[in-house]
Amino acid sequence: MRSLTAELLVLRKRASTWILLGIWVLLGLLFGYLLPYLSYRGGDVGGQFRTPLEAMLPQDLVANTLGGFPFFGGVFALMLGVLVVGSDYGWDTLKTVLVQRPSRMRVFGAKLAAVGLALVPFVVVTLVSGAVVSTLIAGAEDAAISWPSAWEIVRGIAAGWFVLATWAAFGVLLAVASRGTALAIGLGILYALVIEGLLSALASEVSWLDGFVEYFLRANAYSLVAAIGVPTASLGDNGPGSFFGPFVGAGQAIVVMSAYVLGFVGIAGALLRRRDV
Amino acid sequence: MERSGNGDLVIETHGLTKRYGNLVAVDGLTMRVHPGEVYGFLGPNGAGKTTTLRMLLGLVRPSAGSASVLGVRPGSSEGLAGVGALIESPGFYPFLSARDNLRVMAAHAGVDAERASVVLDEVGLGDRANDRYGNYSQGMKQRLGIASALLKDPDVLILDEPTIGLDPKGMAGMRTFIRELGSGRRAVLLSSHLMSEVEHVCDRVGVINRGVLVKEGTVDELRGRRSLIVRATPTEQANRVLEGLPEASEIRVQDDVFTVTADPASAATINRTLVEAGVAVSELRSERASLEEVFLGLTNDDEEGSR
Repeated sequence: MRSLTAELLVLRKRASTWILLGIWVLLGLLFGYLLPYLSYRGGDVGGQFRTPLEAMLPQDLVANTLGGFPFFGGVFALMLGVLVVGSDYGWDTLKTVLVQRPSRMRVFGAKLAAVGLALVPFVVVTLVSGAVVSTLIAGAEDAAISWPSAWEIVRGIAAGWFVLATWAAFGVLLAVASRGTALAIGLGILYALVIEGLLSALASEVSWLDGFVEYFLRANAYSLVAAIGVPTASLGDNGPGSFFGPFVGAGQAIVVMSAYVLGFVGIAGALLRRRDV
Repeated sequence: MERSGNGDLVIETHGLTKRYGNLVAVDGLTMRVHPGEVYGFLGPNGAGKTTTLRMLLGLVRPSAGSASVLGVRPGSSEGLAGVGALIESPGFYPFLSARDNLRVMAAHAGVDAERASVVLDEVGLGDRANDRYGNYSQGMKQRLGIASALLKDPDVLILDEPTIGLDPKGMAGMRTFIRELGSGRRAVLLSSHLMSEVEHVCDRVGVINRGVLVKEGTVDELRGRRSLIVRATPTEQANRVLEGLPEASEIRVQDDVFTVTADPASAATINRTLVEAGVAVSELRSERASLEEVFLGLTNDDEEGSR
């Protein structure tokens, strides 16, 4: 518990934590509300509105927010995971911590718990800021305000956190494996954007890839958020994070993502435990 | 708990070895550090000092051999509870103040956060405790590293080149401080490649070269017996006289200068005997090898090997 307190103090006082949170929330508002609203206000584009007003109102808060989690949010979470663990190699603080007293696994556990806790505000602040902006939009458009049920919100928070936690665990593994931050972040983004992104895009043309893609991190994360209400059509219009399928059931998504988390954390823990510092 | 070693020793190693592929960084090292002593671990750069210290702290796994620190396996929580360490350059969070850095380390160590203020005062950083570590000078960083090592009020301090990067005044202050740290029950294992540091601070010294402990003893023992330097002519006659003296042993001669291993108290006798035999003595003085000369003699092969 004391090691967790220490890790939370480091995270709280670190500027990059707040910078990541701030940029993530701003991007979420920009792409989730501001640009769609400007497009909506700008009028007819190609015979139809790009985004229906309903998607920007409080009733669609959870669905509108979670659509950005499987890729964009995932990359932010990956960077957070990398920074929490990888920086200790760069600053040489890992050896200073390990010679104090705690076992390597206790330190590792504290870091994982700190990342997990830090991801909660990443989800909650995104939802709260989305709620504020969607309320403003509803007010500006004289639209009726109705909120998602408490269960929908809790389910959304849980799913969003789980998606981010999976990517953060991947970041932790990359940081431990590369003993640093720069290569880990580079490899993580390369994997998310190029490997999973390109293969997913090719899957619609190469049939045998479909089987593989169903087990990709992004495919399962998108499937999870789709299962709790994010329209699948909107995910195909998501810039570099576009996803057209294949979608799997929520049960498989949870199982596959859990396996990813266990695999990432297990390998990272084993590396940290065995390797010289 | 894995307990091993002699209860009278705070650090004990037997055949401790670390290999990195074909490179043997530490080769069968056997050493002992007693409670209350300052043990100097002397060796040239790359001799294996830091690797040894890292093994004693559980940061590096030995390839062979065994070690115990405070009677338990290196790196175990129980052992680390009584050990403070500064390994190579200090490692702290640059965006945190010195106080917050120590609070973080205190939490990991399981000691009261108030210890941070105590040790900051102890190393003279109390008035700069709230400054960011990233803004510290090299000397202040070193002192913060020592403060971190003192958080647990440890029985054993392991310090790896603690004066590196310090100016002469800072080095002198640090040496005095280390001497004070090791003046009570606490044992200090001090790694260094600086002769004067080891000579002034340490009770016993181990010299490591190419991963092998080549000599161990007090500074006096390492420097060996005193010699007499005798400049005398004619050389052949002086040599005959000196060889006949029971007080003199290990006579070496270069030009007309003799180096004689002998008790300095016998200088008058030797001088009188030489003069009475018709030998002109133009110089007679006592000399003893410096620690640096001993060190260079013990590690000379390393320099040749690196050429």
